[in-house]
Amino acid sequence: MSPDRLDPVGLDVDGALAEAHDGLTRAGFIVAAAGGAVAGVAAARPDAARAAIPASDQDVLNYALVLEYLQAAFYTEAERAKALTGQTAGAARTVGAVERAHVKAFRDLLGRKAVGRPHFDFQGVTESNRAFLKTAVAFEDLAVAAYKGQARRVRSRAVLTSALGIHTVEARHAAWMRYLNGNTPAADAFDLPRTRGEINEIVASTKFITGRPRSTSDREPRYTG
Amino acid sequence: MSQHHPARAPDRDTTSHVTRGGALRTAALAAGGALATVTALGAADRLSAAPSAAKDVRILNLLLLVEYVEVAFYEAALERGILSGELEEFARTVVAHEREHLAFLQKALGDKADPEPDYDLEAVTKTPGAFARAAAKLEDVAVGAYNGQATNVTPGAFLAAARIVSVEARHAAWIRSIRDGDPAPDAVDVPYDQKRVMRELRTVGLAS
Repeated sequence: MSPDRLDPVGLDVDGALAEAHDGLTRAGFIVAAAGGAVAGVAAARPDAARAAIPASDQDVLNYALVLEYLQAAFYTEAERAKALTGQTAGAARTVGAVERAHVKAFRDLLGRKAVGRPHFDFQGVTESNRAFLKTAVAFEDLAVAAYKGQARRVRSRAVLTSALGIHTVEARHAAWMRYLNGNTPAADAFDLPRTRGEINEIVASTKFITGRPRSTSDREPRYTG
Repeated sequence: MSQHHPARAPDRDTTSHVTRGGALRTAALAAGGALATVTALGAADRLSAAPSAAKDVRILNLLLLVEYVEVAFYEAALERGILSGELEEFARTVVAHEREHLAFLQKALGDKADPEPDYDLEAVTKTPGAFARAAAKLEDVAVGAYNGQATNVTPGAFLAAARIVSVEARHAAWIRSIRDGDPAPDAVDVPYDQKRVMRELRTVGLAS
């Protein structure tokens, strides 16, 4: 199952990102993203962390945030629908918690510059193990390719280090979901990146995002992703 | 089944890497404050600010060492005939990937490539259980090694490493799934410094 096999329509990830531009000033990313050990280090050197994140990385971070919103909402809905069973239900819970942590990390870092959460309609794919796993495989493979596609645009080494660590967690999730779905967890020796245009097209084709965010938290999200 | 692209040598984008080369290098120089953070983290041992060809050689040789150990480990386990079922399928698939990674790094390093190291693979290939434990550890080491070193290399080498590291992460999650472990125990994978990579490799087959 590949991401581009998802059924076709429309969200505009770049549109969702268009609201954010200006300089990034918050230093919370490393703290929030990496937890424990990293948090200690960053907390000890907040000025260093802040100085390390150039404004141009904000766009990339917001792009990643939208993808994390999508994943977090998907797993959260799956968990709340209570339709999944066995190992699949357990995996959805565990992965959902991690994706929500990624959302929080990016939001903390971006502060008021964070794009808002889009509205989602997962069209029932969270309501059976089969549909859920098929979609999860597509999402996770997509996330791996998306992070890889953006990596060269990141200017801050601190952000890049954290993003790489998230990128490999997405790859672990991809392999996990593939395993549960009966797919080969690692199909090739090299994972290829995808451009933003490719990612947007694939996400749009799912019709899972039904509305663009207006601004950060201007209304209650349907799911706390 | 998978609709992934067929495996390709990760140097297809070389031209664009080169043209973008300045950006990351500049970023690395500008990241002053971050260096302290990252160094304290152990992500980048003895960091000097800018990647360089000489530094690439040192780092790529560390990654080459990881790939040497991986290939030798899986080959030894398969030759020993201790594996069956899921574990054997895992080993056969993964060893093919690791051979490609090894060949890629050898080619990238040319005559700067370190020679193959000595191994001590007796214990880690003795039983299926010992194999699975060691494989899980080894794949985690590979993920940590690439994540820890990738930000210190030049852009071309970085993008190649990025295409390999997520495959190592898939291997790590795969063997952890087989073992009924948590395939993704952390929200962010921790980068390993050179010392940690060397220390852990010695517990999974690199001769001391």
